[in-house]
Amino acid sequence: MSLVAEAFVSQIAATEPWPENATLYQQLKGEQILLSDNAASLAVQAFLQMCNLPVKVVCRANAEYMSPSGKVPFIHVGNQVVSELGPIVQFVKAKGHSLSDGLDEVQKAEMKAYMELVNNMLLTAELYLQWCDEATVGEVLEDVDQCCQALSQRLGTQPYFFNKQPTELDALVFGHLYTILTTQLTNDELSEKVKNYSNLLAFCRRIEQHYFEDRGKGRLS
Amino acid sequence: MAAPLELSCWGGGWGLPSVHSESLVVMAYAKFSGAPLKVIVIDGTWRGSRGDVPILTTEDNIVSQPAKILNFLRKQKYNADYELSAKQGADTLAYIALLEEKLLPAVLHTFWVETDNYFTVTKPWFASRIPFPLSLILPGRMSKGALNRILLTRGQPPLYHLREVEAQIYKDAKECLNLLSNRLGTSQFFFGDTPSTLDAYVFGFLAPLYKVQFPKIQLQKHLKQLSNLCRFCDDILNSYFRLSLGGLSPAGQETVDANLQKLTQLVNKESNLIEKMDDNLRQSPQLPPRKLPTLKLTPAEEESNSFQRLSP
Repeated sequence: MSLVAEAFVSQIAATEPWPENATLYQQLKGEQILLSDNAASLAVQAFLQMCNLPVKVVCRANAEYMSPSGKVPFIHVGNQVVSELGPIVQFVKAKGHSLSDGLDEVQKAEMKAYMELVNNMLLTAELYLQWCDEATVGEVLEDVDQCCQALSQRLGTQPYFFNKQPTELDALVFGHLYTILTTQLTNDELSEKVKNYSNLLAFCRRIEQHYFEDRGKGRLS
Repeated sequence: MAAPLELSCWGGGWGLPSVHSESLVVMAYAKFSGAPLKVIVIDGTWRGSRGDVPILTTEDNIVSQPAKILNFLRKQKYNADYELSAKQGADTLAYIALLEEKLLPAVLHTFWVETDNYFTVTKPWFASRIPFPLSLILPGRMSKGALNRILLTRGQPPLYHLREVEAQIYKDAKECLNLLSNRLGTSQFFFGDTPSTLDAYVFGFLAPLYKVQFPKIQLQKHLKQLSNLCRFCDDILNSYFRLSLGGLSPAGQETVDANLQKLTQLVNKESNLIEKMDDNLRQSPQLPPRKLPTLKLTPAEEESNSFQRLSP
């Protein structure tokens, strides 16, 4: 979204409350949806759940074409359409909901930095595994391991990355890790790397239970 | 110690030991960790590999790319991070990712893509240090490389227009600078009193942006308003690179910012004291790495130097 459009959307967003019929569009599960897109969609779903904003998930084969930016997932709220986690976080913030308001400046900086790390390493790994199957997967796996190690250390024994309350970082990490753990791939090495870190596994389970099962959405398929 | 470590890199100017970010990162890290590097500056007679610089050469190894070079140095026991906790190590990775994704595209753009800057400053500077006829080809290639790197980072399809990307990358870079400034606060370095890998990276990325004189300087202007980041760069330059500063380019000397000059003078006064302490430390038995005493600003200085925070 261009800067001007972004500002415009924020202004309009501020005026209306969150509607009952908000919808999230993603591609069809199973064959169509890509690993990276699935992670992105899960991240957005987790984020909205954490904000307590109800959204209905709709799978469409032509979701990419419906999206204003060509990227999935996107949400249809009122008469506005917003795609990707970053702009969605902004949009939701304009409506007065934020997970990171309680953080001080240093923590906000840290949160943004860790989100970049996740985008950098995990997303790259997912993209790599989707499209290439070759021997240089070794370096990619090492990056993933390093990233998971960093996340694991940062999380420590806390329930969420910034202790008691989840933020968009938690949503993003959940989206990626859960996708990696649950998607069937030709090789298991990626999910094995994640499984080495028990606190990350517990983290995913916790978010799944608290934000998806308990809300009556049923298990994430 | 082991065989000499040689670092080939781009040379300096405008008060910097090198104008090239990646070279600076390695040079700074070497200073912080006490690694004895012999710096070989690329000049007109250089015959090294193209665009791979900085490169570390030892008797049996050739290592390229800052991350790999730093890893190599750590394995040789030149470790600037040994006092960091596991969490701080994790934070380091995260902040480096932030720098590479949010700041680097705009820095690359300022140097290599922005037309006025590229043609009046960057290209002549690099071309004059590359032997003919490569001088005619290599800068252009580096410029294209930078452009590709920018478009790649943005994740946009190659068909996207650069103009749309430009506004976004500068916005991201300014936000990143604000974040760094917030994170640094009033500390000497990012993790307390001794510099580490993260400080090397931040310094490497920031210093050229800070010092090189460009016609189009929107990002530099923003950086100069974040006085703690400027102080951070100047501190490192004065503490670790003062002795090896070759020529300040005449242009650099003339146009030094007045506030910067004042700050530099104050820091220089402090550094006389540091030099004496440093000498004492050199006499004592070898301990890796040396802790330099914290530079303390005098109270009067602190008042006038309160940095204005920009709201993001």
